[in-house]
Order: sequence, then structure tokens, then C-alpha cells
Amino acid sequence: MGKATVIPFGPQHPVLPEPLHLDLVVEDETVVEAIPQIGFVHRGLEKLVETRDYNQFIYVAERICGICAFGHSMGYAETVERLMGVEIPERAECLRVIWHELSRVHSHILWMGLAADAFGFESLFMHCWRLRERVLDIFEKTTGGRVIFSVVKVGGVVRDIDEGQLAEIKRVLEGIKDDYSQIMNAFLKDTSVKNRTVGVGFVSHEDALSMSMVGPFARASNVNYDVRMLGNGGYGRLSDFKPVLDTQGDCYARVKVRALEVLQSIDIIEEMIAQLPSGDIAVSVKGSPADGAEAANLVEQPRGECYYYARGNGTKNLERMRMRTPTSQNLAGMTTALSGCDLADVNMIVLTIDPCISCTER
Amino acid sequence: MTLETEFVPLCIEELPALAAEKKAEGARFVQLLAVNAEEGVDLIYTFMRDGVLTNHEIKGVGPSTVVPSITDQFLAAFVFENEVHDLFGVSISDIAIDFGGNFYALAQKEPMTIISPEQKAAREKARKLAAAKAAKERQPAARAAQAEYLAGHPDAHPGKPRGPIEPSGSDDLDARLAGVDPEKVARVKAALAAKAKKASETAAGNAELEKKLAGMDPEKAAKVRAAMEAKARREPSATEKEGE
Amino acid sequence: MGGFKLGKMTLGGLFKEPETIQYPSQTKTPPPGLKGHVSNDVTACILCGICQRRCPCGAIEVDKAARAWKIDRFRCVQCGSCVRECPKSCLSMEPSYAPPATKKRTDTFDVPKAEKTA
Repeated sequence: MGKATVIPFGPQHPVLPEPLHLDLVVEDETVVEAIPQIGFVHRGLEKLVETRDYNQFIYVAERICGICAFGHSMGYAETVERLMGVEIPERAECLRVIWHELSRVHSHILWMGLAADAFGFESLFMHCWRLRERVLDIFEKTTGGRVIFSVVKVGGVVRDIDEGQLAEIKRVLEGIKDDYSQIMNAFLKDTSVKNRTVGVGFVSHEDALSMSMVGPFARASNVNYDVRMLGNGGYGRLSDFKPVLDTQGDCYARVKVRALEVLQSIDIIEEMIAQLPSGDIAVSVKGSPADGAEAANLVEQPRGECYYYARGNGTKNLERMRMRTPTSQNLAGMTTALSGCDLADVNMIVLTIDPCISCTER
Repeated sequence: MTLETEFVPLCIEELPALAAEKKAEGARFVQLLAVNAEEGVDLIYTFMRDGVLTNHEIKGVGPSTVVPSITDQFLAAFVFENEVHDLFGVSISDIAIDFGGNFYALAQKEPMTIISPEQKAAREKARKLAAAKAAKERQPAARAAQAEYLAGHPDAHPGKPRGPIEPSGSDDLDARLAGVDPEKVARVKAALAAKAKKASETAAGNAELEKKLAGMDPEKAAKVRAAMEAKARREPSATEKEGE
Repeated sequence: MGGFKLGKMTLGGLFKEPETIQYPSQTKTPPPGLKGHVSNDVTACILCGICQRRCPCGAIEVDKAARAWKIDRFRCVQCGSCVRECPKSCLSMEPSYAPPATKKRTDTFDVPKAEKTA
């Protein structure tokens, strides 16, 4: 047994897209303990809610994170709708689901590219991002933006997707499926990939429950929980929804869960397009949230469950808006996954929780 | 079927018992948030079980109140407890991983508790208007009072949303240094910042380490301590270099 | 099991058209619904100032006295609130990609005096 050494990891590190710092207590090559630290990019977006009215804040909410931008605007809008007791048209709910699932597709493919980059498979990384570009093109055509869409408003959505565009989405997704199956094959069957992922960063089912983990990270440890199965908003219209689960609890299982969730999302989009109701896409919302009114809401982001809380104060501005993002919930689980791993596997494990530090700090 | 949420009041003394109970029944810790209210900070602990989201609300936590940590039951809460301490100034005891106020790198202490004068005015105006409306329903004479109030308070209109938000906490150091030449000011400021940073870092590091060591087995603890000491020995030389 | 699972895709890339374009010489055709930049039809504008109030980032400035409608291009986030709220529908989003710039700039639209219609 060697002497314990503390190795600082991050906030700038080639594998980390965002600033996360870890103090790794290392014995020889084995990590004994990891202490995470965030707080390098706190922007005070939650404070900004006090100076923007509730309709304007939606554009701030979107900018919390570049990848789950749609999820945040949808979660914020749903929370304010709950706060003010607004019922939105069914078509708006379904359109939100379509866009949200498309974001999940692009987020997961992006993450798979980053994971491939983390274990040094450059060409797989390029292929993943090439495929993601087609989803971004759908966004550009239907919403007018590639990353930040600004299509949600309190009371519905601002743009409709017409029949031609729906057919186009279906056609593009069919095209993606073919290429995607080859990429998935590489992720799940290739020996060089398996060498880096199988058995690495194991988290048991019991640990996953006691660490209150969420999202694909928890589902890879067989935690049967996904906000979508609660049937919130348009998800209530799905005929059958079962979370993608895996029992292994290692990096391979997390890759597998995300890989299968992409296919699941494509199925959800196709089901939604098939049963899209006609009608209005928005209702007009008048007045301001009542003084002291409170509402809480959950949304399944690509990275896991996201919690929203809003409190009104009788003015156009909200008293408090809170977003609890999946990464802050998964930090404790990440320390569990890291203890006992090899130093060389740290970057892979950190990446498999899909950390989004800008989300976490707002 | 949609998501069910409920809000339940709670007092601080019941918090550890509640956490233990939630742990025993297998509930999932969702989050902890704070709201800056008029009579102190409101804390909301959220748990979820069987698809029901339960928000337990502690109203009006004052600056002198110490809130017990729930990290002994739910380790995932350490992020939120540190956050509430840093942004709202609520003191929380015995956090499993305590950063001692250095979780977020902030330019200003407890930024979420500051209310700008414009916001205050807007809020008061809304409250007065609501009160006036209620009064108007009872007697029409109140209308005159409302008009009088608005005429007497030209600044009671909501703040302009344009432009970057001015930091409302006036930096007294800036004021004191206004007369001195700018070069000196910059040097003094840099020195102060470096000093504050160093002091807080070492303090936080030590406190955090001790807390963590208490929970470890003695053999492991000794090893970590040795490692940290080695780190500390190396550090002075590094900081000296920085100072030059 | 086995390696080289990406072989088909990688080799296929040799015979396919590239997915990228040679940017400065070739440009992408913007889709019709693109939120490019805000434009003002000055003949219909009444300088009411609703857009200024709705803008979440304070990019629009309406100067009634000088009859000028100004927009700070680098503050604008292309959310489209002003376009939706405009009572005269004189604002629109032009679907074109903004060219790169080295300086921040503000565009000014001079609104001519409306002729009496009644």
C-alpha cells in the first residue's frame, strides 16, 4: 500500500467541458476518495428573476444550459402555469413533448461523442456529432434556432409545426436510425470500448437509492424512476412508457441506457406525431401570480430529473424561481462511483454522470 | 395523471426526525431550497415517494438560528446545504462535506438576500394597490387615498428593466480608496483579495478535513492526514512564488 | 465481440459527399423560419414603444422625439417577443445569418412622419 496523496483534478481539464474541481485522495493508482467542488461559474440567474417579468424570464431560463435549453424553458413555463392555474391546449403540450424528446436525442448523441472522445476514440466522436447535426437542422427548420429555440411561452408555444415539417421530422429520424444503429453497435460491442467501460465506476442499487441519484446515472443501477412515467403534461398521452433500465451499474450500463434512450425518444416522437391533436397552440395569460402562491414541478431532462419551484409576490416579477438540476443531485453519487477506481478511469466516470456544471450553478 | 405536489409546514426541531423517517420509509431526497422572505429565510426540503412530491417548509429562519444538517441521512444534500449557506447566509451545522463558505466563488457575501430599492418599491406598491383595491370594494372614499399615495411617492413605480443591474451593496473600500492614486489602489486591492482568499482556503480546508476524518476509520484517517500535511508543506513555497 | 465495429461507416465515408461545406466560398441556405435578425417596416411603425417594454434584454430603444427606432444588435437574443407583441405587425424576423463583426453596433431606423389618413 502506498502513501495517500491528494491530486487536484480540474477545473480545467481536457475531458471536462465545464469547470468541475475534484480533490482525489490517491493511494498508488487507486482513488480512495474524491471531494467535488463547483462554484467557478455562478452567474446569479435565479436572482435575475426579481428584475425580469415572468414572461421575459423564460429567455433567461433557457440560457441556463445550452443543451437542455428547451427542457428548462418548458419546465419554467409549466411551473408558472401551475402557479397561475393556466391550462394549456393539448396541441401545445404535444409539441413541447416532440421538441423535448428531440433535445434528448441530440443531448444523448452529443454525450456519446464526448464519451468516445474521453476514451480516445476520435472517429466515433466525429460520427456522433455528425449525426447530431441532423437533429439540430430539424430544430433550425421548426423553431428558427439551433441551440436556443425561444419557442415556449407561458401559456403554450409560439410556433406550430405543420404537416410538411412533421413528415420531414419523421423522415430525418428514420435516416438517423440507420446510422445510429452502427454507432450503437460500436459503443456496445467494440472490444476497445468495452475495455474502458465494463466494470468501471460501479454503483450498487442500494447506493443509488441512498444517494438519491436521478436520471440515466440512476437507471443504470436499476432505479426504476423517470419523471416521464408520472405522465406530466403531454407525456400522459403516451400509450405505454417504461424507463430504460440496466442492472450492471457500471460505465457500460450508463452508455447502454443512454444509447437505448435515444431509440426510445425517437419512438415517443413518432407516437406523438401520429396522435398530434389539432387546435390552438397557446392561450393568453393575463395578470400576475398571487402574493405567496407556490408551485413545484418536475421535468425529466436528458441528464435526469430537474426540479422547479416558483413563488409569486403579487407583481409581474416572481419572488423566487428555483431550478434544481440533475447534476447537483448526482454529485454525491459521483463520489461513490469514484472511490476505489483507477486514476486513469476518473475522467470516464466523471463523464458518465454527464455533468453540466453551468446548469448546477445557474 | 399529472404530478402531485404538496406543501407541508415544518419547524426546525422536527427536521432531523423527519429526515430519519423519510430515510426509513425509502423516500428520495429531491432538493433543498431557500427563499429570502421578509421575516428571515424560508427553507423548503423536498422528498419524493410513490410519485408524490412533498415540500416541507420551514418559515423564517433568522440569521442567528442554526439549522441541523440532514447529510447524515441524505448525503446528496451537501450541495444544497453549502449553497444555502453561501447564497443566503443560513448557518447549517455538521454538513458531511462542508466547504465553510467557499462553495461558490462570489464577489459579494450572501447575494440572494439583497433587495434593491426599486424592487422594494415595486413590491410595496403592489401590496398597497392590493390593499387599496380591497378597501375600495368596501368604501369608495379609499380611491382618493390611493391617488394621494401615488402622487406623494413618485419613486414608487417599478424599476427600469433596462441596462445592467448595478450592484446594490456599496463597496466601502472603494469609497475610502477613491482619493488615492489608482495604481496604489489596485495593489492594495490585490493584496487584500489574496489575503482573504488564502485565509479562507486554509480555514475551510482544515475544518472540512477534520469533519471528514471523524467519519473514517483510524487507519485511513491517518493516511489522509499525512497526505494533507505533505500538501500543506508544499503550499507555502507555492504561495511565496505567487507573491513575487 | 471484436473490434472495428465502425468499419462500414468509416470506409463508407471515403465514397460519400462531405457533410461539411467550404464556408467562406460556400454558404448554407437559411431555412425560411430562421430567427435571423429583427427588421422594422418603418412605414407602418407608430413608435408606440411596446417592443421596448417587452424586450427581455433592453436591446430596443424607441425615441419618439427624434422619430428613431434603434436596436442594439449585440444585445438582441432573437427571442421574437417584440415581433409577437407589435400591434401594427411592422416588426419581422429576417431569415438570414448575421455576418461576423469586429465591433458592436446599433442599427437605427428613421420612422417618417405618418400621413394623415382620416
